[in-house]
Amino acid sequence: MNAALIAGVIASSILSGTSLLYATLGELVGERAGIVNLGLEGIMLIGAATGFAVAALTGDPYVGLAAAALAGGAVNLIFAYLVVGCRANQLATGLCLMFFGLGLSALVGRPFVGALITGLPRMHLPGVGGAGARLLSYDMLVYLAAPAALFIWWLLFRTRWGLVVRAVGESPAVVYAAGRRPAFVQYQALALAGLLGGVGGAHLSLALTLTWAEGMTAGRGFIAIALVIFARWNPLWAIAGALLFGGAEALQLQLQAAGADVSPFVMNMIPYLLTFLVLILWGWNRQSAAPAALGRTHFGVE
Amino acid sequence: MPRSAATLCLESALGAASRAALVTLVALGAFAALLTAAGKDPLKAYVDTIAYVFGNPYGFSELLVRMIPLLLTAVAVALPSRIGLINVGGEGQLYMGAWLTTAGALSLSDQPAYVLLPVLTLLGFVGGGLWALIAGVLRALRLVNETISTLLLNYVAPMIVGFFIFGPWRSPESASYPQSPAFVDAARLPSFFHTRVNAGLFYAFVCLLLYWLLMTRTRWGLEMRAIGGNPEAARQLGVPVFRIILIVMFLAGGVAGLAGMVEVTAIQGRLVSELSPGYGFIGFLVAWLAGTSAVGIVVMAFLFAVISSVGDILQITQGLPFAVVNILMAVILFIVLARRSVGSAAR
Amino acid sequence: MARIPLLLAAWAALASLFAADPAAAQDKPPLTVGAIYVGSVNDYGYNRAMKDGLEEMKKNIPGLKLIEAENVPETAESERIMEGMIQQGAKLIFATSFGHQQFAFNLAKAHPDVVFEHAGGWMQAPNFGNFFGATQTAWYAMGVAAGKMTKSNTLGFVVGVPIGYAIGNVNAFEMGARSVNPKAETRVVVTGGWADKAKEAAAANALIDQAADVVTMHVDSPATIIQIAESRGAYSIGFQSIEARALAPKGWITGLGFTWGPFMTATANAVIAGTFKPAMVRLGLGQGMMAVAPFGPAVPADVQALVTAAADKIGKGFTPFTGPVADNTGVVRIKDGETWYGDKMGNFDWYVEGVIGKAK
Repeated sequence: MNAALIAGVIASSILSGTSLLYATLGELVGERAGIVNLGLEGIMLIGAATGFAVAALTGDPYVGLAAAALAGGAVNLIFAYLVVGCRANQLATGLCLMFFGLGLSALVGRPFVGALITGLPRMHLPGVGGAGARLLSYDMLVYLAAPAALFIWWLLFRTRWGLVVRAVGESPAVVYAAGRRPAFVQYQALALAGLLGGVGGAHLSLALTLTWAEGMTAGRGFIAIALVIFARWNPLWAIAGALLFGGAEALQLQLQAAGADVSPFVMNMIPYLLTFLVLILWGWNRQSAAPAALGRTHFGVE
Repeated sequence: MPRSAATLCLESALGAASRAALVTLVALGAFAALLTAAGKDPLKAYVDTIAYVFGNPYGFSELLVRMIPLLLTAVAVALPSRIGLINVGGEGQLYMGAWLTTAGALSLSDQPAYVLLPVLTLLGFVGGGLWALIAGVLRALRLVNETISTLLLNYVAPMIVGFFIFGPWRSPESASYPQSPAFVDAARLPSFFHTRVNAGLFYAFVCLLLYWLLMTRTRWGLEMRAIGGNPEAARQLGVPVFRIILIVMFLAGGVAGLAGMVEVTAIQGRLVSELSPGYGFIGFLVAWLAGTSAVGIVVMAFLFAVISSVGDILQITQGLPFAVVNILMAVILFIVLARRSVGSAAR
Repeated sequence: MARIPLLLAAWAALASLFAADPAAAQDKPPLTVGAIYVGSVNDYGYNRAMKDGLEEMKKNIPGLKLIEAENVPETAESERIMEGMIQQGAKLIFATSFGHQQFAFNLAKAHPDVVFEHAGGWMQAPNFGNFFGATQTAWYAMGVAAGKMTKSNTLGFVVGVPIGYAIGNVNAFEMGARSVNPKAETRVVVTGGWADKAKEAAAANALIDQAADVVTMHVDSPATIIQIAESRGAYSIGFQSIEARALAPKGWITGLGFTWGPFMTATANAVIAGTFKPAMVRLGLGQGMMAVAPFGPAVPADVQALVTAAADKIGKGFTPFTGPVADNTGVVRIKDGETWYGDKMGNFDWYVEGVIGKAK
């Protein structure tokens, strides 16, 4: 166990966990408004492909990032129309969205496979030199990840809008009776969720790997859904969860580089088993932390 | 003039098919617009697909080959949905069915086919069943919602498979590629007419038949529908909800496990790391579209198999990645989802 | 009641309308060749090399028709795709990725009039041949380059799947490095798949964190790893396609690439002439299937000379796997007087001295 290894693991976890954190925050906002989106994987893929394509076309990764966020938001609004507007079954629609994202991202990304882009630049923290500089130089999205979680926390728990969102997630009928339109709030929440999901996907292609490949999110969207539960629908806990999952993936690779012998399969299973453990423990405590109206659709007269 | 049950069945099947055809046509139009925007020729693609699927014995046989796992994973979703459980774990259950089948095939390789195949079928069923049972137990104990647990288990299963094919079951002859040794001929599920259509089709229809019988002709079926409607009332009435959840999840996982068994014994002939291009998820969509009716499952599985063939054609003749066909599939579903809920009650 | 026969008739009419294949009225090409790739040809790697070879074959045989499909997974899907190509008239199919072997073989049995060439496997049939480059010894030359260019004496190697051939590559690499730099060590990270970009990025970062200043790889596409190395100021050595040097304008040392063109052209001509004979073809540096990539701007002339000399030696038959060779725990694996070559390259399950990692 040398210092380089520990530092490497931390750095890797942060890098790996960033895209997870954004996606988790997005799903969290949506679920707080009462909507489960199983298609988060599709949103992330669309974000990754769009971000990469636009960055390749314009040469500017920030423009790509903006495009990724917008694309994610736009596609999630389609999802919102179906589950809120048409009151479609959320799970089926979500899975459908996943396939849509798989296909659309493949189509959009195809002309750009192998393109070379300038990714999001790594920025050194001023005043930190030497070994610290090597480890503490991340792209903008990494630095903004934890603040984003704090922002979402503030948004949900300290603003009126957040209060309404949470109320819609608990009991849409009450909100409706209070004179607000739950559907409108849900659209807003899902738009924000799509934005964040798109950013999460874009981090993979614009910063982490600097490439695009079909299906490159490799299930991160589903991990994010599990993380929302792990975090008990609280954005601050989501930070810990994202680090944990990012860490597990990173740890086994770092251990290998340092010469230790670990089975990658066993290591990769650990985050899932941990999530299960956490879920079982939360479940034992009968009081559910989930928004009461999660997954159900509202049937007021609109 | 009173109509016979067979006629009604046939009519409802064809009616469902025509409704599906209408939705498909609309979606094909939207997809064609997208393809044209991408610079491809959608009309040629569609024509090629129809020629391939209906005018070509190989194309048609591949259609059936594609349908087999879809039929099985759809039943794996439909069955628990009758008691209000949501099983999105078809992928994982398929992998674990394949895993246990492989364990049997490798250790019993000296047995004759008439012994080995039934054993492997049982193992495939048990493998998937036990995997789903984990989620079932957690749900019955009211600890974890089965949607999330089956979803998470989908990820663990391929890792277990990977661990074994990289390790204890690594084929020595192909030390250059992680996979299990090839199964002996006695462990191979037979195929027919020089195509890849295999006995798995028979399994699928048996499962469908049993599912239909269970739900419409047995006491358990009625009990299950009662639970689905109102679990608390059912429990008050003495229906053993806890036990039923476990049994149903086991059976559902078992059917999905059979899909895995078919995949390794009929198609692959060994255990490999990539067994399923999303059969579990597509099965969910098939079951959902079919409204859990057995006839509907056949129709919808057929539809999805045809859509997949479009993907093949797009890939071979137009140079588009196969994944693009997911857009077509999604658009069809979007349309159905948008139409379905108009005027219908909550799920 | 009357709807049923009507609906059935409609389906039947639709089917019959399109049952006949529209005849192609153009000139018949001398040969239709089908090729399936496991990934995208724009990967600066394995698939790109295959594509380049096929393009060369197409240029060499005027009128030849090439049908291609990218991103064909190594599953039963590939059988469907290849069958589709055969139905389009392909008489020669290149199944370019290892995992396509069983499915290509199944089709070879069903279509005795079509020739199949598979990359990297071992199966044989009258119409089924196998080909690949003999990469292991060639890596020795890469090791020479790395050993000379490294300042930290730590080299990084990212391996996709720890198969015998890949481990052999690592071993030859380390031995080449040691031959010019006795202090050089190679750290190995296994990602578990041939094309997992996120893991490759993490692996490259991990190696560089552990002080590797020359990074190389055996994965399908070197793109991600080379770009990470370049962004962190490390040198890179490429593999699979010599075009990968475009990715690292500053840090590129050299690389190994496959040159499939001559072999593919020869095979296609044999099929046209009806003289095809199946064989297990394994050719290395200097024998037409592999080449050393051009050197990058940072490589001084004396290092270039050393590497070229090593490559020449290998082309004339040199192999580092001549006993005695010990593994990294000290056990002698290749005995004095013994030489490992050919099929034994797939048997590596141990790393040589100087490699930090466990092969099993």
